[in-house]
This record gives sequence, structure tokens and C-alpha cells, in this order.
Amino acid sequence: MSVIKKLNIKLFAVLIGFLTSNIALAEVAVIVNAANNTAIADGDFSRIFLGKVKKFSNGEKVAIVNLKYKQATRNEFEEKVLKKSASQVKAYWSKLMFSGKGKPPKELGSDKDVIAFVASNPGAIGYIDSASADGSIKVVKTF
Amino acid sequence: MKKLTKSLLFSSMLVTYSAHAEIALNGFASIVGGVTTSSDDQLYGYDDTLSFDQGSLFALQASSDLGEGLSVTAQILARGENDWDPDFEWAYVAYEANDNLRILAGRQRIPFYMYSDFLDVSYAYPWISPPAGVYSTAINTFDGIGAIYSTNFDEFDVVLHGIYGNKDGDIKVDTEVTGQADATFDGLAGASITVTRDWLTLRAAYFQADSTIDLQRLQPLVDGWTAAGFSDVADNITVFEDKSEFVEFGFQASFDTVQIIGEYTELTTADTTIGDEDSYYIMVSKQFDNILASITYAVDEDSAASITGGVPTGISPDLDGLIALTNGATDSQEVDVTSITLGLRWDFHDSAALKFEYVDYSDDLNSNNDAGLLRAALVTVF
Repeated sequence: MSVIKKLNIKLFAVLIGFLTSNIALAEVAVIVNAANNTAIADGDFSRIFLGKVKKFSNGEKVAIVNLKYKQATRNEFEEKVLKKSASQVKAYWSKLMFSGKGKPPKELGSDKDVIAFVASNPGAIGYIDSASADGSIKVVKTF
Repeated sequence: MKKLTKSLLFSSMLVTYSAHAEIALNGFASIVGGVTTSSDDQLYGYDDTLSFDQGSLFALQASSDLGEGLSVTAQILARGENDWDPDFEWAYVAYEANDNLRILAGRQRIPFYMYSDFLDVSYAYPWISPPAGVYSTAINTFDGIGAIYSTNFDEFDVVLHGIYGNKDGDIKVDTEVTGQADATFDGLAGASITVTRDWLTLRAAYFQADSTIDLQRLQPLVDGWTAAGFSDVADNITVFEDKSEFVEFGFQASFDTVQIIGEYTELTTADTTIGDEDSYYIMVSKQFDNILASITYAVDEDSAASITGGVPTGISPDLDGLIALTNGATDSQEVDVTSITLGLRWDFHDSAALKFEYVDYSDDLNSNNDAGLLRAALVTVF
């Protein structure tokens, strides 16, 4: 009996350890231009990245930048923030593209490229692995 | 030498041109194979011989941003069932008046349904093609003006889409009464509204048009009623600039891995031999990793128009005969069909999916039309 209990507790501890280490390893940071000081409500992140909110509250036009497909951070971001699978996101933008209602966001190859784009465009918003963040941009939220 | 200079000049012109107006090329395709499950079954153009043309399609879209909010887009689509003859499905100039308002001029979709805008982009929805009973209007595109207004109220995203235009020219309408007939639709006007908040999307649409359908085979009836002195009945046999009205309600509810989608439509063409058409479907799907399983229940009910109600019976055998013939024509349009579709979608690739579907179709008025259909599709966007 106590052996089973012990085993259970051990398993539980391993599980917790696994979960926390997972979170600690990969946090996604949403970043904006350093000069952008608008507040973004939690519920607005997915709407911004799905092209539904076109302006920040300061009137600046939103310019979304995406990481290229199959980057771990992109999968993480789509799952956590957009709550969609990669193919659902692709289907979403296909709908808009083939009906004249919108274009998929610009895609860049690395966190470095995303940071450079966001640092030089006042309305830009993107996401990176939080470990890549530097002083040239502003982290508004981590997931 | 001269030739070389010329071609150099030409290619440099091309380079300059592309530097000014970049043309984005995108496309989508569906390759669909289907076969009915029993030798005497026929459904949606399939029979018991495996065919790959029905439902297969290939489309290319070219668009170019001209700056100052102006862009042009053309989408050419070829369908296997039309011998792959390419056709302009969309061809429009769009003007982004401001962040909320987008105006389209040219050939575009009529936003009848939830999936109208991307009707043929199978990659964008769970089925191989949207439920046939609801998605059954004779036309899906028009030529004219469209305006799309999108706005937010708190957490509600609202999209209003209004259109005005017509659809003339080479249109064939499948009618229960006379088979294929030429048709025109003028004064096509209406709007749809879509409201989304978090997990829920609600949609409603209303459109109307002056429909003219050349029902040649009913001409003897028209002549008969005219000769009998009932010009109003004769008028009601023809479909000539008669008002068609279309109403749609739809919803989508998304919970984590489960999605429920439903749509109801009603199409009426008053004072004609065409009866009222009511259809709906409800679909439940569940996502398992990269596999989406779905079940769709669909009902299609068309009633018979009644146009001889005001004619007295028993006066003369000729008149009674005319009534019987006319009622026969209108009654033949009654439809009462139920279908259950089981579907699987497998996202095996980042731009392509494989889909499998089984449709169990039952005709409550004539069980000879009952059928089972198996289909598989490879769908892609690029």
C-alpha cells in the first residue's frame, strides 16, 4: 500500500517537474515597438494577431509579423494565444486571402529578424522566445 | 543584335514593371474521387464507377497592391465537371476606404452563406464540399458592387457585407420541372451580418433578385391557360422578372477541440411554378491531434407551389386536364431529403489535407433515390 502511495507521489513529482521545466523552457513574449505605450487587454492578443483589430488604442496602425511555419515558438504561440492548431491558422488566412478580405501577415525567419522589424516599425507587433528579448523592443506580455 | 537589344529592353521593362506592382500568386486545388456504394445509386453526379472529375477543381489567384488603398484581384477556377474549362470566379478592384470599409467592384461572391466567400477552398473547412442541400443556389457569383464594413464593439467583432448587382449571361439552372434552363438574375441586392464574440459566431443574411428562368417545356401550359382566359395563372407558370427572396441564419460554436456549426436557409420565388425551398444542416466535429472527425445531419425540403387554387374545377374536362397537368408540374418539385455525412480530415502536411467522407442519403418521397456515397479528397492551398 505505502509502496504504491510512494510511487504515486514520485510520479506526481516527476510530472510537476516536467510541467514546470517545460514552461520555464519556452515562454513566448509578445513584443511591440519601444515607443508603443498602448495597453493591450488580454482578450485582444488573439484578435490582433488574427487581423481583427487593425489599430492600437493610440491610433497607430497594426502591422503583424509572424514567424515562419514550423518554428517551435510559432506553434507555441498559436496554441497558447490563438488557441488554434497550425492548420486551423492556415485555414483561417486562406479564407481571408481567397475572399479578398485580408492577407496573411508577413513571415520572418528568426527571432532576430522579428526584433529588427518591430524595433523599426512603430505599429509592429510580433512574438519571440522570451529569452531572445532585448532592449530594442518592448515585451507587453508573456505566455 | 537588334533582336537582342529588343529582348533586353523588354526584360528590363518587365523588371521595372514588377518593381512597381508586385503580383502575388496564390492558389488552391481539390482532387476528389467518389463512388456510390451500390450499383443503381446515383448522387451529386456520382455513380458506381469511380470518378475523379466531379468536385475536383484547380484555382489560381493573382492580386496586386496598387497603393493608396487600391488593389486588383483575379481568381481563375477550373472544375473537373466542366471539362476543366477555366472561368473567372472573382475579378475585382478593391478600395480600402478606411480601416473599416472595403469596397469591391467587379465579379465577386454573393455572401449567401457562412462559407460563400471561400466556397471552393476545401482546405478552409471540414467537409470535402459544404452540405449540398443548403449550398444549392443556382448562382454564387455576381457582377456589381460590394461593401464590407467591419467594426468592433467591446469584444464583439461585427462584419456587414452588402451587395448590389446582377448575374446575366450563360447561366444554366437545374430545375425539377424542366431540367436545365437559361436564367438571368437582375437587381440582386442584400446583405449579411456576422457577429463574433470569443467562441460564438452568429450570422444572418437576406437577398433578393428579379429572376427570369426560361422554362420552355412549360410553354404549352402557358398557352393553354392564356387560351382558357386565365392570364393570371399563365403568368404564374412562367418565371419572368419574379422576385426571389433568400434568407439565411447560421452559427458556429467552438469549444476547445469541439466545434458545432449550423445553417438554415429559405429560398422563395413567389407567383411562379417554383416552390419554397427550406434547408438546414448541423455539424459536430472533434479534433484529435491532426485528425478532425465530423458528423453532419442535413435536411432539404422543397414544397410544391400552388397556382391553380383559384380555378374552378368540374366546369370542363379541358380545364380539369389543364389543372391536372399544372399541378403535376408543380408537385414534381417537392423534395424531402435527409442525409447523414461522416467525415474525417487528416492534416498530414502544412499546406494539404486528406479528407474522407461517407454520405447516407435518403429521399423520403421516393426511396429509389436513396444512396450511399464514398468520397476521398486531397485538398491544398499554395
